[in-house]
Amino acid sequence: MDTVTGASSLVRALEDAGCEVIFGIPGGAILPAYDPLLDSVKIRHVLVRHEQGAGHAASGYAQATGRVGVCVATSGPGATNLVTPLADAYMDSVPIVAITGQVNRSMIGTDAFQEADIRSISLPITKHAFQVTDPADIPAVIAEAFALAAGGRPGPVLVDIPKDVLAATTTYTPAAPVAISRITPAANEIRRAAGLIASSRRPVFYIGGGVVRAGAAAELRTLAERTGIPVVTTLMARGAFPDSHRQHLGMPGMHGTVPAVAALQQSDLLIALGTRFDDRVTGVLDLFAPNAAVIHADIDPAEISKNRKADVPIVGDCKDVLVSLNAAVRRAPVLTSWWAYLDGLRDRFPLGYDWPADGKLAPQHVIERIGTLVGPEAIYTAGVGQHQMWAAQFVGYERPGSFINSGGLGTMGFAVPAAMGAQCGVPDRAVWAIDGDGCFQMTNQELVTCALDGIPIKVAIINNGNLGMVRQWQNLFYRGRYSNTGLSTHDRVPDFVALAEALGCAGLRCTEKSEVDDVIMRAMEVRDRPVVIDFVVGEDAQVWPMVAAGTGNDEIMTVRGIKPLFDEDL
Amino acid sequence: MNRHELSLVLRNAPGALARVVVLFSSRGVDVESLSLDPTERGDVSRMDVVVWLPAGRNPDQLVKQLSRLVDVKSVVAVADPARNQIGA
Ligand SMILES: Cc1ncc(C[n+]2csc(CCOP(=O)(O)OP(=O)(O)O)c2C)c(N)n1
Ligand SMILES: [Mg+2]
Repeated sequence: MDTVTGASSLVRALEDAGCEVIFGIPGGAILPAYDPLLDSVKIRHVLVRHEQGAGHAASGYAQATGRVGVCVATSGPGATNLVTPLADAYMDSVPIVAITGQVNRSMIGTDAFQEADIRSISLPITKHAFQVTDPADIPAVIAEAFALAAGGRPGPVLVDIPKDVLAATTTYTPAAPVAISRITPAANEIRRAAGLIASSRRPVFYIGGGVVRAGAAAELRTLAERTGIPVVTTLMARGAFPDSHRQHLGMPGMHGTVPAVAALQQSDLLIALGTRFDDRVTGVLDLFAPNAAVIHADIDPAEISKNRKADVPIVGDCKDVLVSLNAAVRRAPVLTSWWAYLDGLRDRFPLGYDWPADGKLAPQHVIERIGTLVGPEAIYTAGVGQHQMWAAQFVGYERPGSFINSGGLGTMGFAVPAAMGAQCGVPDRAVWAIDGDGCFQMTNQELVTCALDGIPIKVAIINNGNLGMVRQWQNLFYRGRYSNTGLSTHDRVPDFVALAEALGCAGLRCTEKSEVDDVIMRAMEVRDRPVVIDFVVGEDAQVWPMVAAGTGNDEIMTVRGIKPLFDEDL
Repeated sequence: MNRHELSLVLRNAPGALARVVVLFSSRGVDVESLSLDPTERGDVSRMDVVVWLPAGRNPDQLVKQLSRLVDVKSVVAVADPARNQIGA
């Protein structure tokens, strides 16, 4: 038991919790914590340029490493700037701990300078929020915050600490280890699941991000190969099963592949693991997989039967569930005609794209070449929009955690800070942010952080001159009336190459198909700075296939008006 | 709409009540009445809530969502013999 300040206690508690990097910005209320941080040899502090960047960086770090990400902000505006990343991490079940300074205890509730009730603001978007009122509690609260963030279904936890608590003299008592209970999957449900799997005729593994969070990719592969059952991976699970694997049908959902969507729709058994039947996957719920029985395994009981009733509910960590299923499944189902049907769809409806009529680059080609040249050992992040969907479709993912994006909240501006965080966690891997020209303008300030802190990420801006995804909807559903979706980025406002240079990065531009490979290779050779590539691509490219919002998955269109599952009698 | 009674044991922690109430609000739950009473154990309180859910919406889901809250020690849906129904 040592006599320390609350601030030193905080830094020691973070060290004891295994924290090695913090993303943050100081300010009045959190200032005491920054003093002992200067002396910590275990914790690296990365000075971001906006707290939103700190939050997404913590998320990128957590998703790249599997550890808890940490961000720090001061009270008031610093704390409120964390709202978006907290909500983002909550939706995508990412373990992060956000530490915010607060005004002195005696000032709370007085509308003091830079006072914001961040604990209340964060109520619906955090797993839990603490406000520390006794400096002696700091070690226990930090230990509990880390355990809560990482335990069960992961998620964000906030720790709000008044300035005078940080400044107070206290004692440091290392926290007792926090016990985390782990639910064992119920044996009878596992048996029932194994029975259904063995007797199914058209089963499919519907894999969600829970499999990635659980680190269960190897167990999934074993079960998939033993049973021969086809696999689809959602946006949050890309890489949980290798894209190159014969049994992989791709991503389901609004912009999923025809075989993946058809596999769910025609299925007689969904084996749903770590997934939540999100509306972007199911389309109109009543029309989703109408003839399928459902095995639904999730660590969060509140997700099971939330949107679709589970016939076999299994509460448990996906890894434990898969281990149990591997032990219980003795007989593989006979799937000859199922595979014949699915392979037929694969042959007839592969992912494809057209080259823009105006001679500009095809964005899909750019992304496909990045995936091919940079390879599956890299980590890819994405913003939100068309480029995100193309990044999900046209990069081949082979490893869980190699694609990090904002799935649930759909947060524009996620790519650059998430890449920064990921790169801090895995310095030996290449990290590529595939970003939109719109998204990039929301958070590119973090490239300054990357340039100054030796975080050599690559950013590929898929510059289509527009808020492309919104424009696509305007094209399809608002008679081509393009209200406020043009960005003028094709007129070089901003000039992304010049902007990159101004931010301390190398800036490259690519406008021709013949230059694409060369530019990517040149970017890979730059190691001393971050690199930004402005890929000027056609503005009219659209994301296909598509299930229009408010329709059933059977109405999936491969291009405008062509509905292979709906029009034909398959 | 269907009427449901829930009974919770809540940790006496700052923000615990707010978290429960916000959950009702974010999940679109209509609250008819809510009462909070101390228990013999000083560290927890008992909360009785009557809520209305759209027909077809299972109170189990709400019970599970409430159970996720760190400050909720236990929650049960009390069977309500006089369950009213309004509309479909
Ligand atoms: C913070 C935020 N604001 C608005 C939106 C709505 N939105 C979704 S995609 C999109 C366009 C994104 O444009 P860009 O980054 O250029 O990507 P593109 O679709 O062109 O590839 C917008 C505005 C959002 N998802 N997030
Ligand atoms: Mg764009």
